[in-house]
Amino acid sequence: MSETTVTPDKPISVEKEETAPGFIGVNVPRKEDKRLVQGEGVFVDDVKRHGMAYVHYVRSPYAHAAISRIDVSKALELDGVYGTLIGEEVAAETDPFFQIAPPPGGDLKDYALAVGRVRHVGEPVVAVAAATRELARDAAELVEVDYEPLDPVLDPETAADPGAPKLHDEVPNNTIWQGNFDYGDYDAALAEADKVVRIKRLHFHRFSSTPLETSGAVVEYNRGTGQWTIHSNNQFPGFAIIMMGPALKVGMDKLRFVSQDIGGGFGNKICTHVQLVAMCLLARKLNRAVNWTEWRTDQHTANSHGNERVFLDVEVPVKADGTLLGFKTRIVDDCGAYTRYEPLGCIIWAQVTPGCYRWRHVRVDFTQVCTNKSPCGPNRGYSRMQHLWFTERIIDIVAQELELDPVAIRKRNYIRADEMPYETPNGCVYDSGDYARCLDEALKLVDYDSIDEKRRDAESRGKLLGVGIGSTLDSGTNNFGQSTLVNPELQFSGNNEVATVKLDIFGEIVVTLGTTPQGQSHETTAAQVVAEILKVSPDDVNVRAGHDSYWNSHAGFSGTYASQFAVTGLGAVKGATDMLAGEIKQIGAAVLGADSTDEVELEGGFVRRKDNPEAALPFMACGAIVNANNAVLPLELREITLNCRYVYVPPHQLPDKERKYGNLTLTYANQIHACVVEVDPETGVYELIDYGAVDD
Amino acid sequence: MLLAPVEYARPSSVDEAVRLLGAHDGARALAGGQTLTNVMKARAAAPDVLVDLNDLAELRAISRSGDGGLELGAMVTLSELMRSPEVDEARPILAAVASQIADVQVRNRGTIGGNICSNDPTNHLPPVVAALGATMTIRGVDGERTVGAEDFFLGVYMTAVAPGELLTKVVIPAAGGARDGFASVPIGKDGTCIVNAAATVQDGQARIALGCVAAVPVLVTSAVDEAAVRQAVQDAELDPPSDVHASADYRRHLAQVVAVRALREATG
Amino acid sequence: MEPVSGQRISVEVNGEWHERDVEVRRLLVHFLRDDLDLTGTHVGCDTGNCGACTVIVDGVAVKSCMMLAVQADGASVETIEGLAPDGELHALQQAFSSFHALQCGYCTPGMLMSAKHLLDHNPEPTEGEIRRAIQGNICRCTGYVNIVEAIASAAKGGGR
Repeated sequence: MSETTVTPDKPISVEKEETAPGFIGVNVPRKEDKRLVQGEGVFVDDVKRHGMAYVHYVRSPYAHAAISRIDVSKALELDGVYGTLIGEEVAAETDPFFQIAPPPGGDLKDYALAVGRVRHVGEPVVAVAAATRELARDAAELVEVDYEPLDPVLDPETAADPGAPKLHDEVPNNTIWQGNFDYGDYDAALAEADKVVRIKRLHFHRFSSTPLETSGAVVEYNRGTGQWTIHSNNQFPGFAIIMMGPALKVGMDKLRFVSQDIGGGFGNKICTHVQLVAMCLLARKLNRAVNWTEWRTDQHTANSHGNERVFLDVEVPVKADGTLLGFKTRIVDDCGAYTRYEPLGCIIWAQVTPGCYRWRHVRVDFTQVCTNKSPCGPNRGYSRMQHLWFTERIIDIVAQELELDPVAIRKRNYIRADEMPYETPNGCVYDSGDYARCLDEALKLVDYDSIDEKRRDAESRGKLLGVGIGSTLDSGTNNFGQSTLVNPELQFSGNNEVATVKLDIFGEIVVTLGTTPQGQSHETTAAQVVAEILKVSPDDVNVRAGHDSYWNSHAGFSGTYASQFAVTGLGAVKGATDMLAGEIKQIGAAVLGADSTDEVELEGGFVRRKDNPEAALPFMACGAIVNANNAVLPLELREITLNCRYVYVPPHQLPDKERKYGNLTLTYANQIHACVVEVDPETGVYELIDYGAVDD
Repeated sequence: MLLAPVEYARPSSVDEAVRLLGAHDGARALAGGQTLTNVMKARAAAPDVLVDLNDLAELRAISRSGDGGLELGAMVTLSELMRSPEVDEARPILAAVASQIADVQVRNRGTIGGNICSNDPTNHLPPVVAALGATMTIRGVDGERTVGAEDFFLGVYMTAVAPGELLTKVVIPAAGGARDGFASVPIGKDGTCIVNAAATVQDGQARIALGCVAAVPVLVTSAVDEAAVRQAVQDAELDPPSDVHASADYRRHLAQVVAVRALREATG
Repeated sequence: MEPVSGQRISVEVNGEWHERDVEVRRLLVHFLRDDLDLTGTHVGCDTGNCGACTVIVDGVAVKSCMMLAVQADGASVETIEGLAPDGELHALQQAFSSFHALQCGYCTPGMLMSAKHLLDHNPEPTEGEIRRAIQGNICRCTGYVNIVEAIASAAKGGGR
């Protein structure tokens, strides 16, 4: 093996632990189901407030235009219209949203409504509030907006050309961010290659994850306390509050986020802080609660799209036997009109730089540009999906050019199970994975051994048959320190999530989570973990449904996004429950006369002596003692509250800003899929014949 | 989204319905609502008055006519077409095509009259009634008239039913040995059609109506063989639109393919 | 008779009659959700595609976003809230839970009503018939496989 394909030393060791039987790894009925199957969930549009106003946005029909006049007078004359909000008011009452990009990209100004100019079709220009949904819609039609159309920027590949129309005065060449990534020794790989496969252009289109419930909020303002209560299906309140507080020029605690049930998020509900600021202003201005329910059309045109990305001038040095040595490419990423979570997409792909493959030499020139299209934001597989598709396209194109079998070339290049944990060229650590085995399983699922026979059968019916393979990684629990690799001045790193677990006065176990589940069964899984530790049944564990930042369940990164609940959320639940278990044992040991907590154990809702299980104290007694009868406790135990809050912090390190190097995420699940399609050559229509999916 | 302000009436007789349609300039008939409601939600159309036809039992009747033909009330739903023993006996192609339209909920309300009167070029039933040579009965304040399928479809969303008039019946001629077929290429597995074709084969002649290639179904006739059908489609010199779903060239190519497939279904 | 812009309607919903004054342009789904506070029926799109609003009107499954409330005057409507009248879950609701046929639950009421309509008319559906029955209901979370299995299981068990 030559220098350029050496496997790195294993950087960390992973301990294997025995898991005891219990409620983990067992099928338990979901707590969420009972209310959801009866239509008794509380989604945001189910929330009603007396005198509530319904909001409809007047949105830009132009991709790019100056606003020369807004006249809301006719709308205000309509009976039942409570008021309006326009960009001028927003600019006067709020500061532009904090930007993640360094200057000059980060100098652009982004407000809750268009200010002076519209930059994408569907951009909200005026908010109209009225007594009914229909009236708000009618009134919106009476709002007059005069636009002076400007030339739009629609092609990311030419957005930075001299002479291209400028979206933001502060951002030269429409370039939000540019960076170079150089790992291994690409020039040496080029020299060592037997062949260089060149791919001129690969294009990943923009898309939307389209949750069935659109975004929305019911926002109330308390004039006495200056407090907003935001009932919203925003899925990342930690981020929303950090963005909204400074914009509204209020402290974080003035923004209370509440949600119970959310109808899917998939990333689309992360960047709605923009619309929520407009709702906050309206609620305060009108002194009444306001309801905004996004229309599906608006979700499609103006909510967060997944980044459109173009891979240009791709170069892949390979050996004759199909070994991939590395890749080089110039990437142009289109983030749309505004940067709300961007340019984090410019680094997040690096969580999976090599995909599933062992190549070590990577050179990427990454540019993100803004265009007059919908603003992008996290969508399922944020920034990694585009990159993993890219690696899969490379391996199939190389296989074709070298006339190698797509399965064999993958097995030759997959990172091997015995190389795990594996450090990637930019310092990420894949914790586990046996890709070759998963591929075999996927191929078995689609009877790959009999593919030739299937192909002949298809041909006899006039059809073509093809097999596709997809190898991907779902990286989870990211290190927000990667944001410093796009902007070294940022003060973000690590990650966290919070949970509280308490024993109430009658011994009831109550859990609160900092997360905002949209179907991921947080209530149920949290109950499984608590039950496991406290040795009760999940039925005995009450997990409060949903999220409320007033439960003191809020940490900087609270929310549900980026595949991390099992690690951060359940980590927090475990931490809090371990604390509670310890406190219960302390009470038990003291009351039962044991010398230390080692002499007591938890079982079936009791704390009892190991040497005499009859000597037992029910949880109810513990709760009662601490809350209402605490003089029976020795003084040194009176600090016990049986109300435990724990913030789980993953063991992330600060990444190396210079080299753009470091462990950017904690976990890697991998997915290998195989797909068999028949294509009708007469019509081009294809049919899925078989599909196998393996998830590890 | 939400409808603009509108007025509504639900008459209990066809005569009353016709009177209402004639008395108000911006009046539209509301049949199944599976197209009109959406159009009004998007405010792409805003009629002043909706005349709801759903109480008109007379328009829901299905019967066989004396000569073996099929009389379908305009308000017969797509689900009813699928369930009807009369349709199954007389002209089962109608049920087969109805079952390909949208989904259960839409078919439970959507009507044959609505599908052909809305005359969206991608609808399923206009080419079918064109191929079958159906006759439409239209009632206005001045009485009733009949219009053959070849004169019924006038343009995109436009038919011979004038303001103030109502389609009351679709009469399908007796099969008399004719065999029918239908083929389409939809978006996805069961979405809107990109191209469709209905074929009737009788007395050594194939009658094929092509949909989605022009404002109205395009009728071609030929001998009953695939080459002749392809030639007939080519000779029709189609000028289909290009849109986000398909280019004009693709539609032109597919028109030949579905015409042949519809023929195969009819003869096979 | 003359056209009106508002009307007093009487609608039977889950066995109970309700009388309300409504604008004729009010969609049935908003009548149920906003006028009757039956928020179990959901809105997921603008164009009648997603089926989240599915209810049963006079025994027939319809998308309530494509019907006017006034069109339901005198009609009998079944919504998700009527499926388990005394808190005892319908076989379909039980099966959906057992087979993990829901995650976020937003499509679930509409999906259950389509499934109920199927079993009311076809107590022993094939897999193909089940799939056709829910063709008008979109789910973004589950991938449908568990939903089909849940409905099949409920049918086998007698479907009540």
